[in-house]
Amino acid sequence: METIWLYISIGAGVVSIAVAVFLFFWVKKQDPGTERAKEVAGWIKEGAQTYLKRLYISLAVVAVILAFIIAVVFSFDFSQAAERSAVIIPLNGISMAVTFIGGALCSAVAGYMGMAIAVEANVRTATAANESLNKAFKLSFYAGSVMGLAMVGLAIIGMSTIMLVTQSADLVLGFSFGASALALLAKAGGGIYTKTADIAADLVGKIEVGIPEDDPRNPAVVADNVGDNVGDVAGMGADIFDSYVASVVAVMLIGAVASDGLSMYVVLPLILCTLGSFASLLGIQFVRVGKNGKPGPALNFGTIITTVLFAAMVVALVLLGDLELGILWATLVGLIAGVVIGFTSDYFTSDNYKPVLETARVSSSGSAINIITGFSYGLISIVPSVIGIALATFLSYKLAELSGVQGIYGIGISAVGMLSISGMIVSADAYGPIVDNARGIAEMAGMDPHVIETADVLDSAGNTAKAITKGFSISAAALTVLALFAAFAEVVEAAGFTINLSLQEPIVVTGVFLGAMTPPLFSALTMLSVTHNAFDMIEEIRRQFREKPGILAGTEKPDYATCVRLAAQGALSSLILPAFLAVGLPLLIGFILGPNALGGFLGGAIFTGVIFALFMANAGGLWDNAKKYIETGKFGGPGSEAHKAGVVGDTVGDPFKDTAGPSLNTLITVMSLVASLFAPIIAAFHIF
Amino acid sequence: MTVHLYLSLIPEALIASMLSPEEFGAYYAVGSNKKSSGQAIFFEIDPDYRSKHFRIQEGIARCIPHDDGTPKASIYISVYRVLEQIDIKTLKRLYLVTQDGRTLGLDPSDVLPEPCEGLHLYKEVVPVSPLVASRLNPLEFYDLIVKNPTSLVTMPAIAFVELRLGELAEDPDMGEIGDLPYPNMDHLREVLVDLQKKPVATKMVDRTSPSTFPYRTMKNGLFVGNESKLLYYPIPSHEVLREENYRWWRSANI
Repeated sequence: METIWLYISIGAGVVSIAVAVFLFFWVKKQDPGTERAKEVAGWIKEGAQTYLKRLYISLAVVAVILAFIIAVVFSFDFSQAAERSAVIIPLNGISMAVTFIGGALCSAVAGYMGMAIAVEANVRTATAANESLNKAFKLSFYAGSVMGLAMVGLAIIGMSTIMLVTQSADLVLGFSFGASALALLAKAGGGIYTKTADIAADLVGKIEVGIPEDDPRNPAVVADNVGDNVGDVAGMGADIFDSYVASVVAVMLIGAVASDGLSMYVVLPLILCTLGSFASLLGIQFVRVGKNGKPGPALNFGTIITTVLFAAMVVALVLLGDLELGILWATLVGLIAGVVIGFTSDYFTSDNYKPVLETARVSSSGSAINIITGFSYGLISIVPSVIGIALATFLSYKLAELSGVQGIYGIGISAVGMLSISGMIVSADAYGPIVDNARGIAEMAGMDPHVIETADVLDSAGNTAKAITKGFSISAAALTVLALFAAFAEVVEAAGFTINLSLQEPIVVTGVFLGAMTPPLFSALTMLSVTHNAFDMIEEIRRQFREKPGILAGTEKPDYATCVRLAAQGALSSLILPAFLAVGLPLLIGFILGPNALGGFLGGAIFTGVIFALFMANAGGLWDNAKKYIETGKFGGPGSEAHKAGVVGDTVGDPFKDTAGPSLNTLITVMSLVASLFAPIIAAFHIF
Repeated sequence: MTVHLYLSLIPEALIASMLSPEEFGAYYAVGSNKKSSGQAIFFEIDPDYRSKHFRIQEGIARCIPHDDGTPKASIYISVYRVLEQIDIKTLKRLYLVTQDGRTLGLDPSDVLPEPCEGLHLYKEVVPVSPLVASRLNPLEFYDLIVKNPTSLVTMPAIAFVELRLGELAEDPDMGEIGDLPYPNMDHLREVLVDLQKKPVATKMVDRTSPSTFPYRTMKNGLFVGNESKLLYYPIPSHEVLREENYRWWRSANI
């Protein structure tokens, strides 16, 4: 029966990809608009492709090196690790390396597909906005769905195929590690790129020179729009792909330890993903802008319908398949927690509610008050999400245990439950940068003002979807890494090492402190990269304005390519240290201080990582929307003291929400995967 | 190439130029190699206008294309007491230029804005640029400053705009600040409350106020006049500006 489910999963993945391909070509068939619009879109497309090409070449080198190391290390059979002896089995190493490469490749393809359609859909959305909001919404959402469905399809096919061929959850772990390693670099690199360009373009363009956003006279405007694609589309695609796969593999590992061979416990997460992909495919059909013309409710309705459909399918699965009820409760707990946490994020970042309104109001007292208020609400925003995560953890554990399922397995299932509807969530998320780009193209191509107004309405819904996705992905990552943490402990125990994570052990406390230090350090490194690169780009923009006064007068064309190149170079060269922190530090801790310290390290990193990720994502979104609210004319509007403070807050929040914050969940996932993957070796070889 | 005559208010100057008003606006705000930049306000004046106060003919004679054939952007004819000397009847269209060079042309109107109750806030542009609160309507304010001064403060000519006060015009004590962008709002409230209580027509809000101001804060338009004539250039509503002059409006709203 388990094998049949694997075939069904592969079939579901194929269907997802087929629909994604169909939508891809449907979007490409739409009218790309005027020559000027096509020219502007061409600059963005070229810039995005150039960056991704460079990124993927660099990542390919890293992936090959890591694959070689994995092939060598995993050629040793550490099943006798406790005796500190090993047998060499090259096939094990090669298999692990191949799955690692497969994971990296699938993650890259998912990100690339998302970006490939985004750079086609942006100009078509702008053109469609000239006709109607409904048409533009449909086009941009279907384009976003390409990435959502492709991501889900590739992940399911990849994992199911490995399980079908090898029946080894360990090899799926290799697949997951490949996906996560690439996701971390794609997300962090994209985040650094997008905020470098955004901050530099705004600081010189808006503040110094006084030209509006997306003005074609700004030399950084193309880099800014490229950033939306490489950061928010390709980066986010790779990021969710990694969480999605990691949540499944965590459950598989726990299931594999608890049972022998290809049991239902091992295959169940794949079955849930399969049902989730069907629910997403159906849910996407319900996303339509009604007569009220509001895209935000349409996106939310799609998410809710998908959630309900998925829940119904899981109920049917558990009842018809005679599975333990604990699995149903754990899945539902995760699903509900994910959606509730996602919408809670919206409360802290939407200008319909107190946090944003209050931050905007106090901005008239200056930047310091704006920063303190936004910072404080950002900290408060952690509370509901953490309570949600804690409740989901506790309830899924207890409910699973009550029905005879291992408690920690229940936590893992709740993470899978949360991420099963990723197809829909990612579709709504990828819609955001597409309409944002469409707005930029409309401005740059001098399209009619009503096109820009339509794009503004679409963009506003995109921002909300983005906030929901961030809350959702961070919460899902939290539950995933908790399950991975348990999997790490199980793997270490299985290797013959008795793990002791008591806080009375100094070595564990040492690990906890070192782990707790890592997410803040990672955040600082990525944000300093943004400021460093933005400084270089600001100088370049100033140079162009200084040496070519005709740019501002509209008689000379800016050199867009140099800013695009600077952003790309800066982002790629900034990834070395963050990558070391994610992969190298857990290994150092493990091999030097031992598995207990590594366990403590993971615990510390998980807790500060989740808290920092939630805080940064929500505070950044809050500052951004407070500034936008002031720009609607409130509290003095543009040019007022409140607006100046709002701009400062937004600039501070930019790398919070789009660089450091969203990369942290990938960081903790990668560290947990590295620990789990190398756990048997670390159990055998450590100094203390 | 045609030579245009422009009366600039920021800074006050009489300029001959071969550029059209839109080109001149872009050049004046952003396109100069001399790095002079920022918001600009200027009138196009009758090209046949000549005056004993200005060496206009000499300026026009020097306003010839560059060696490479490009038009001469500007010849400054006078930069001192220009508005005072110029004949207001020669003023044609008014151009409001944003700091990034977008130009909005406004025509004079024969109909002055309806007098309204409440307090007023005036931004004087030329020859001096204080921010003044007043209980007088624009016409009365112009009359007080230029035609029938009742105090020692008087000017031979003036260009000024009335700025929005929102609810503060009626209720300076408790009125909502709303979308007013002015700094130091508490001081503005105090001045307006004082105006209501004391028997004075005007009170200074800011004597060191810069010449520039956010265009979106203009209540009705720009007034320019001397002892013989007052011209009024109404500015369209925000909705009309957004609908018909989107690029300018967007630049004006940064």
